[in-house]
Amino acid sequence: MPAILGTAERMTLVRPRLTDCYEVLVAQSDLDFAIPFLDEDIPLHVDPFLLWKSPSQQDQALHTAVTNSFNHLNFLLSHGRGSEARDTLIAASECAEVGLGHSKKRRGSRIGTTKADEILSLFSAIEEYSKGGFSHFEEIQLYVHGISKDRVSDICCSFLKSFLMDYTTQACEELGIPLVHVGVPATYDYRENRFVEDQRAWLPVNPETGAPILVVPRRWLRFNPWINFDEYYRDYCPFDDVFQPDEPRDPVRVLRYNRDHFGLVRDYIAVKERTQAECRNDPLFRQIPVSSAKRKLSTIRGLATGKADGADRKFEDATSQLLSSLLYPHLDFAAVQSRTDSGVLIRDLIFYNNRSLDFLDEIHADYGSRQIVFELKNVAEITRDHINQLNRYLDSGLGRFGVFVARHPLKKAMFKNTVDLWAGQRRCIIAVTDDDVALMVTLLEGRQRPPVDVLKKKYVEFRRACPS
Amino acid sequence: MNRAELDRFEKLVGQLESVYAELSLLSKKSPNDAVNPFKLRFVNTLLGASAVTLGSGYMPFTDFEQFDSDNVPQNSDVVFILSQYLQCFEKLRADNVVYRNGTWDWEIDAVGAEGVGDSGKVYVRSTRPKRLRD
Repeated sequence: MPAILGTAERMTLVRPRLTDCYEVLVAQSDLDFAIPFLDEDIPLHVDPFLLWKSPSQQDQALHTAVTNSFNHLNFLLSHGRGSEARDTLIAASECAEVGLGHSKKRRGSRIGTTKADEILSLFSAIEEYSKGGFSHFEEIQLYVHGISKDRVSDICCSFLKSFLMDYTTQACEELGIPLVHVGVPATYDYRENRFVEDQRAWLPVNPETGAPILVVPRRWLRFNPWINFDEYYRDYCPFDDVFQPDEPRDPVRVLRYNRDHFGLVRDYIAVKERTQAECRNDPLFRQIPVSSAKRKLSTIRGLATGKADGADRKFEDATSQLLSSLLYPHLDFAAVQSRTDSGVLIRDLIFYNNRSLDFLDEIHADYGSRQIVFELKNVAEITRDHINQLNRYLDSGLGRFGVFVARHPLKKAMFKNTVDLWAGQRRCIIAVTDDDVALMVTLLEGRQRPPVDVLKKKYVEFRRACPS
Repeated sequence: MNRAELDRFEKLVGQLESVYAELSLLSKKSPNDAVNPFKLRFVNTLLGASAVTLGSGYMPFTDFEQFDSDNVPQNSDVVFILSQYLQCFEKLRADNVVYRNGTWDWEIDAVGAEGVGDSGKVYVRSTRPKRLRD
């Protein structure tokens, strides 16, 4: 059973994820599900279309279940149980346990009764839906203002919550993430066609709040749903018919127009179904291509040291994008951090240490680094002050291993300074220079070795210089 | 040198030349790219065997034995070192061949019932030393 980190240790983690706080250190690329953050949402959404187009019978069946559950609202309406339909839709409109979307606190809000009634009115206003129901419930985006990708995702997850609970339990048991017998609010009972409050299940919980956490398969996630209003408005909307020649183009007007012109929506959906082969899930992290990496390297090489012409900012931007791609998938990128030390703005890159390589495991074991800090320094030379600043920052609980991303190698005296730090306090501070980044880019292009090996090389060189 | 050592010599030189040719191509294409750990392992195996055959007298460098994978050796590094070893193997060969009856032959020690020449040595056909001046 993995150990759970204490509150103080958790507080020091930048963008802590479920796996990190239970010391289950595994790379995102090795997992079938998206690792949820504890304090914020993953900026991706469940796209019901991915379930529909999936070759998996299970995914297709789940899509059918979601669609049936949504269309059951029509059944309720037609049997005079409108308030029950409204309550069900409102309950389905938020699924905080999955932590998808753009919330900074992993908490969203449900829709109000007005919005719920507006959605339900589609069943009565459009005959095709009244008779046949929806085949893709995300079409509601094309009729109702304020319904977008996060709401579609939440409705889908709410109707699938029972499945996601089983999936989460299984995934966490395989990884050894501790489970707690906890009550889950608003679980959809597919047999009763209603939400059940406080169903109990064995799930991982947020150690701070005790709230249950659900994980979602990566294959269901996209930044934007395949069927979405923005694309419809941009590429398929017949503006000449909807608006007068000099009339301002108000998207809400298009939504109203669609209610009276179901054929337009039907044609759009037909196109989207026809082009389903192009619909793929979005990765949680997208590596930049080699050509782009080379351009960024030449940008870095062409920059002068110092702050003139914003060179420091350009260096930091290019290096952030480059390193996060170069070190993937062995180190998952967590965040760019900004801090001020002695009146100087310092930017760092923070990576999760997945212990996916022997030397990363050593860094975790010897220096207690659950996350690795790369401090970006566009300076002519690293001075004693810079080393002290990074050393102080490591004191804040980030472990005892830090990396300078500098332009030139450390001067002899400064290198000795870092060796002395190791000898005295067992701190390891290494410097990655332009030449090392260039070697990383070469390795990325050649694909003979992973670029992260250059980091190991620098570490091994440093350790060889340390007294035995 | 006896026949068994000569066999080892020829096998090693053949392997080194083959690896050298392969890596030279890679080095010309991208000299700064790293050699992958799989290839590096076998290069190191060859270098280890070479050290035994060359002995301390013919080793190209006193402070180099093998590549360290942690140092991420590049194609050009490996090609450079292999060429040095090949030169030293050639030097060893040049010191052990003799010009005899119009041909260059290895002069090796006889083992067991091997037929010996006038000098009590066995002669095996070889080629002219590469760096011999006319």
